[in-house]
Amino acid sequence: MTDAARGPQAVAELRGIHKRYGQVDALQGVDLELRPGELVALLGPNGAGKTTAVSILLGQRRPDAGTARLFGRDPTLPATRRPVGATLQESGFPDNLTVAEVVDLVRIHYPDPAPTRELLDRFGLAELAGRRAGGLSGGQTRRLAVALAFAGRPRLAVLDEPTTGLDVEARRGLWELLRAFVAEGGSVLLTTHYLEEAQALASRVVVLAGGQVIAQGSVDEITARVGLSRVHLRAPSLPDLPAGTHAESSNGSYTLYTADPDGLIRALALKGVAFTGLRVERASLEEAFLQLTGGGTS
Amino acid sequence: MRIALAHGKEQTLQHLRAPGYLLPTLAMPGLFYFLFEGQDQDVGLVTFLMASYAMWAILGVAFFQFGVGIAEQRATAWERFLRTLPLSAGQRLAGRVLSAALFAAAAATVVVVEAHLINPVHVAADRWLPWLGALGAGGVVVALGGIAIGYWASPRAAIALATLAWLLLAYLGGLWATPGELPSWATEVSRYLPTRLWGEVSWAAVQGQTASLGDWLGLAGWAVGFAVLAGWGYRRDEGASYR
Repeated sequence: MTDAARGPQAVAELRGIHKRYGQVDALQGVDLELRPGELVALLGPNGAGKTTAVSILLGQRRPDAGTARLFGRDPTLPATRRPVGATLQESGFPDNLTVAEVVDLVRIHYPDPAPTRELLDRFGLAELAGRRAGGLSGGQTRRLAVALAFAGRPRLAVLDEPTTGLDVEARRGLWELLRAFVAEGGSVLLTTHYLEEAQALASRVVVLAGGQVIAQGSVDEITARVGLSRVHLRAPSLPDLPAGTHAESSNGSYTLYTADPDGLIRALALKGVAFTGLRVERASLEEAFLQLTGGGTS
Repeated sequence: MRIALAHGKEQTLQHLRAPGYLLPTLAMPGLFYFLFEGQDQDVGLVTFLMASYAMWAILGVAFFQFGVGIAEQRATAWERFLRTLPLSAGQRLAGRVLSAALFAAAAATVVVVEAHLINPVHVAADRWLPWLGALGAGGVVVALGGIAIGYWASPRAAIALATLAWLLLAYLGGLWATPGELPSWATEVSRYLPTRLWGEVSWAAVQGQTASLGDWLGLAGWAVGFAVLAGWGYRRDEGASYR
């Protein structure tokens, strides 16, 4: 099939990516595609391979097998990265340069960069322009790192856990900026381990666990699969449970994972189960992934 | 070019604003020339030693700014971020070279000016250009050596390695004492070292003699060796597993 036959050219593309670090298979056949104007959230627990996938997409590492493409071109070539802005998982700057100097240095790599002043204003950094980059707080450092991704007026922003370390207000502010960026035609690939972040922003969610894509779809589809609740209760025994419920038990104490806790409890009550000590909690994404990948006991 | 200049400026500002790191490399050769060589009336000797200490000054900048600088920076979040920019490794290196060339020139100038102030040094008018050429050529060789250290040594090891190599290569290359004053065991080693070969071509230049082809070829050999090591180290670092 030619590119033309597949509609608009993919902004970013990973095909059959394998990457191994020593004994660890970081990625095992990952496919990922980002279309213009999409905001795709790459969701997964720590160690899922999100950062490795991002670094291969940005041309920082070469895959052992498979191809990575940005705008149809090889990301290891510097010129390919011109329409792309990135925020990596860890941020750090030359200690002795000022915030404005750091921004200016990054801007110089792009043909039509955003004005420094405007960029600093947009990310709430205007008052820090003259501050040394080494003296910023964690949150300020993170905001600067995200601002730099937008210094070159990119068509694609690749953001690896951009809101980690931001307070609630700064996080919401960044979400607004990303929505506006996408509304103006930009594309975003965002990694996160917060389901709420994916829900708030993404047009599509790709779930990565253990180096493989284990699910992808719309926010609603993914939420239904990974938005699990954890129900604790004690009971002498349990009847057959509704489909999709996973149970773990020890000494008459049960932990049940379900996407529909209300339905589960109604069903148990209707069947006359004499449960005690009922607690319903939101399961973490890590637990949800464990259930999805079959790591939990059914 | 604009990008390389910007990176050169970044490196230079960084060093100027954290002078604790740079000052010893800039000041030590000038200071040692004063303390250990002092004043003398032997024009040939003081001119010879001026050339030696100028080389030592350049050697220090090469090993510290490239060796320690690259080793300390290559694993940082900032350096990783730079690799996401439309920036080639060559442009980044060019920035480093520009900045290092500036500091190397400053360190060597300190020695040369000082030597002229306290001693009757004499370099014939038509020997300045050959001398600067020899200094620069050897500077490229030791800069490649510095880059090799930077990509092979860990940040801590790089400081130790660069310091040891800086002092040992200076002594064994005959840059402190003249080669004739070296103990016999050192004389044997000395003639194969890059600093000694560099010395031979530089001393010949200031003294109005022609350096032997063998010395130039030896120096070129070191350049190739260091370049291979540096390139190999760079590749290795590029493929290193970080998370």
